[in-house]
Amino acid sequence: MTTHGGFEPVFCTVVPPHILDRLARNDDPALSGPAHRTLVRDSELRGRRRVTTEFALAPAPAAKAPSDQPLRTIYDAGHGTALPGTEVRREGGEPGRDATVNRAYAGLGATFDLFLKAYGRHSIDGDGLPLDATVHYDEDYNNAFWNGEQMVFGDGDGEIFLDFTLPIDVIGHELTHGVTQYTANLTYYGQPGALNESMSDVFGSLIKQYSLGQTAAEADWLIGAGLLAERVTGVALRSMKEPGSAYDDDVLGKDPQPATMDDYVRTGRDNGGVHINSGIPNHAFYLAATQLGGHAWERAGQIWYDVLTGGELRPQALFADFAGLTVKAARARYGDGGDEHEAVRKAWEQVGVRTL
Amino acid sequence: MRISVRRTGGFAGIERYGEVDTAGRPDDGEWRALARQAVAAGRGAPPAGVPDGFAYRITVDDETVYCADPHLTGEQRELISRVLKEGA
Ligand SMILES: [Zn+2]
Repeated sequence: MTTHGGFEPVFCTVVPPHILDRLARNDDPALSGPAHRTLVRDSELRGRRRVTTEFALAPAPAAKAPSDQPLRTIYDAGHGTALPGTEVRREGGEPGRDATVNRAYAGLGATFDLFLKAYGRHSIDGDGLPLDATVHYDEDYNNAFWNGEQMVFGDGDGEIFLDFTLPIDVIGHELTHGVTQYTANLTYYGQPGALNESMSDVFGSLIKQYSLGQTAAEADWLIGAGLLAERVTGVALRSMKEPGSAYDDDVLGKDPQPATMDDYVRTGRDNGGVHINSGIPNHAFYLAATQLGGHAWERAGQIWYDVLTGGELRPQALFADFAGLTVKAARARYGDGGDEHEAVRKAWEQVGVRTL
Repeated sequence: MRISVRRTGGFAGIERYGEVDTAGRPDDGEWRALARQAVAAGRGAPPAGVPDGFAYRITVDDETVYCADPHLTGEQRELISRVLKEGA
């Protein structure tokens, strides 16, 4: 399964077809129109997935150009765990009363925007993939994840974590896991896993910066600011500016992220410390971006994006492999010995990763 | 019956651990049945899981199995949630 990055392929329809069938026959065109389109889209998608699976070696069929508009659908799991849940808002629909749904919808849009406007990428797969997200997953669920096909957000328990749709960088982080899956497909373990995590933090933060119009100097470089409940001592879950400083709490413990290779953590837990050692490439990006100044998504972000999508980054890449490719990409795009080349080279040197 | 659950991973990457000894408890039978079903559906090695998904290690007496979100059975979900709540 090349297109699913090693995850179990799931050929599920997003809304039970019998419900869509009923909606499609509804007298109200506002209901029947979208339902009909979804039925058509779903059967196209299912067809495409089967084709990808069964005829993986066949050349890709010539497709029409993907749209410059996202195709978002938000579902509500109703505190259960069945995915995707009940559809509550689709592309173009009016905001409803549920702020969580509205935030997820806006966050998906902001993510789509950054990838399209900054890098010319059409959605997660570069080919207009519909963006699906489920909110209100499970009860008191302290997590958000990308399941290989869609995003899933918990409400938090209110004690330690609040609603996972609150920080826009968390939404961007999850969607970027999708982009990585469709591009470099970095193995989610050890150093390639930490690079995978770092990609999601980097672009998650850039999505926030882009939506706020911030420069590298203005950005907070935090991941998950606003996610921690009031009683927790901390500002966020991770800091790219100062890894290891995001929280220090009697229940959560202390932020374990290292900023440099000197403090690299060897562990088998957390898939070999993917959320821990990501602090090192995160900090390298921060250093390069702030050294260059201006909008971080423009030059530093472009270089990282070039490497993520350029085809040379192997699924098993280590920090040094990735670092070397960013230096090469900076040189290729902006010239040998230019500011970008120097900033990137120096950033890796500062975090202790050798670039050849 | 001693039941322990270790949860790792997740967006925050913060580990949690809980342990319950059901011996002598009035609901011992209920725990045993739940634990048996949860273990029967577990794996001998950690499954691949999904990015940011929680990964779980469940140990019942001297038997250890693994499972990961979002592919948990109802019994695994129930057991994990009870052990992490009561035995934290
Ligand atoms: Zn992640």
